[in-house]
Amino acid sequence: MSERLRIFRWRAIGPLLVLFVIGAVLWWLFADTIVRHESQKVGTQLLGARVEIEHLHLDIANGKVLMRGLTIASPHEAFKNLLQADELVADLDVVPLTEKKLIINRVAANGLRFGTPRQTDGRVASQSGDGIAGRVLAETREWASQFQIPVLQLATGKISIDSLDPRRLSTIPAAEALGARADSSRRAWQTAFDTLRLGPTLDSASATRERLRHARATDLATLNEARQAIDRLKRARDRVTALERDVKAGVADLQAGLAGLDSARRRDYAFARSLLKLPSLDAPQIGAALFGPGALKPFERVLYYAQLARRYMPPGLLPRATTGPRRVRRAGEDVRFPKERALPAFLVRSAELSFLLQPTSAQPRRYAGQLSGLTSDPALYGRPTVFGATGPQLAAGAMLNHVRAIPVDTAGATLGGITLPAFAVPGVPLRLDPGAATTQLGFALKGDTIRARFAIRSTNVRWTRDSGFAKSSIGNLIWQAVSGISNLDVESRLSGALHHPDLAVRSNLDQAIASRLRAVLGEQVAAAEKQQRDRVDALIDDKVGPVRARVNEVQTQAQAQVAQQRARLDELQKQLEQRLRELTRIRLP
Amino acid sequence: MFTLIKLIQSLFGALHSEGTPGQLAAGIVLGAFLGLTPLFNLHNAVVFALLVLLNVSFAGGLLGWALCVPVGFLLDPLFDWIGHSLLLAPSLRGLWTSMYNMPIVPLTNFNNTVVLGSLVFALLSAVPLFLLLRWAVARYRVTVGERVRQSRFYKAVTASKVYNVYKLFRP
Repeated sequence: MSERLRIFRWRAIGPLLVLFVIGAVLWWLFADTIVRHESQKVGTQLLGARVEIEHLHLDIANGKVLMRGLTIASPHEAFKNLLQADELVADLDVVPLTEKKLIINRVAANGLRFGTPRQTDGRVASQSGDGIAGRVLAETREWASQFQIPVLQLATGKISIDSLDPRRLSTIPAAEALGARADSSRRAWQTAFDTLRLGPTLDSASATRERLRHARATDLATLNEARQAIDRLKRARDRVTALERDVKAGVADLQAGLAGLDSARRRDYAFARSLLKLPSLDAPQIGAALFGPGALKPFERVLYYAQLARRYMPPGLLPRATTGPRRVRRAGEDVRFPKERALPAFLVRSAELSFLLQPTSAQPRRYAGQLSGLTSDPALYGRPTVFGATGPQLAAGAMLNHVRAIPVDTAGATLGGITLPAFAVPGVPLRLDPGAATTQLGFALKGDTIRARFAIRSTNVRWTRDSGFAKSSIGNLIWQAVSGISNLDVESRLSGALHHPDLAVRSNLDQAIASRLRAVLGEQVAAAEKQQRDRVDALIDDKVGPVRARVNEVQTQAQAQVAQQRARLDELQKQLEQRLRELTRIRLP
Repeated sequence: MFTLIKLIQSLFGALHSEGTPGQLAAGIVLGAFLGLTPLFNLHNAVVFALLVLLNVSFAGGLLGWALCVPVGFLLDPLFDWIGHSLLLAPSLRGLWTSMYNMPIVPLTNFNNTVVLGSLVFALLSAVPLFLLLRWAVARYRVTVGERVRQSRFYKAVTASKVYNVYKLFRP
């Protein structure tokens, strides 16, 4: 009665095949669009900035990809592109695609342009903060924010003073502690005096002296008593000597405390001075204030890309988890499992780059560059990623060596004859147009140790005065100091542990501005500093004066007490010994 | 609204189809794979092909898919945890490394924590879910099934043209 149950629905093969054919046709029709969208999505996620591709053609049969109109926005600047490329042609290895591995044998990139303007904000990582790029960007920003760039407050030339909180002065608690220590010493020394019990010894010695005065040479008992009294006096003097040593040490300690009050006062002076919003008069400070913010940017950006490279190109062959693809569902994490002697997940064997600098100028200059060994698994590829570019007044090179456990990233570039944009000098009512300058950048990140240098040199700088400060005397002063200077030589250096390196910025303008400022503002600064010192003194002296007097009193009293007792002991001993000598002297007939 | 109607039609269509409880349960389980795991993955193409080619309830598959999509969203943190634990387990590293470097296999995105976690969860729950559903459908049919079939609501739902589309794929 029951029909045997069929497992397969054979009639569905037809519709399934039709579906497959439809899928194949759709792929054929839309593969380029799909790959273009996916490339944009992945590129944007990787770099933390919008990646746009105008046209992409995928020719899987011949292993070629043609890309036109590639634009990568800057992750740092809102309306600027990192680069644009007219055309990119890539030769792919097709077979590794079945392993989801992208092996590009050769890329030819033409018409690369850097730093071009764009209409929309292309930053993604800085806004969302998501993904590896977002995290790296946040880290490098935090890293850059650790540097305390001094601020020049020269706009008005006024010196303002923040309120001075007595609780933040170190002298007052130090004085209170010293006062307590003096009291404690006084009590301790008094107790020590009491335990010496010199009174009975002195009284007994005095009585013996009296008896000895009337004694004869044959009065042996009295003579013995005198000798014992002398011994007791010597022992008492030893005890006094020991106490004297203690008192001396204690007095030295209290004196050190008084000296400590003086140094605490100096610290408080320095603290009070820091509350003054003074224009700095030191040349290195001026260099850092003028060019520090600008000099830090190149380091921050190079570090961003170096750190990004370290995340995407880590050394070693351990499994690595990265944020998964964006989708409606949770992205999760993609874990990669590199395997020895297998192909890396991504590799660009070689790339030839042709690019323009200053493309908008009348005579844009052409340059050529090469890139090799860009890979997601440097340990598998076994060679570092190397980049080099040459051209008129350009020499640039970079190497990312993540082959071994400690990654080493180096980059260097010298670029001449490039017109840098004019910029407002921080804290100074001036704009500086460096004109055609020579820029140098050196960067080395070995493990967690950074050494970097950035320099700008120009022989044809122009200064423009900010009209808003036309009546400012300081503005006039700075203008007079720098307007005649046509050379610019700025150098910033960064060195030390990556998490806390030292930044040093110097320029040829530092000394000129510093000496002018010192000449004019020196008196004002001195007056303001004196005012602050007086305020500190007023707050401190009430506390320090009594403590100082107490300490002096304690030490004088202790020393006097010791000296007095010692003198009495010495005197009595001397008298006893003298009388004893008189009585025991042998008189020859 | 259309989705809801479709879901109800699918539910009634499946429950009152001529297929056996086992066919219906198997369809729902295959549909659950589609709903629990991220849809656009290679393994789901295989699941869809099985749903079409095997003599199971296609409507049940759509029902299972529709019901399990929200469950999948809800359980994504669990899937992520399962996948993470499995992919980073030292004892399984050799297996994953071999699979990751094979042709085709990496295209399944097995190395994604949510994909692997949800797939393992779906595989582990497939047999208990199948047994439970087969029992539940059988019980439904012998208890309230006939009364529902006679109800106006059922007739109204099944009268819709959309229902005819499902009938094409009924087992």
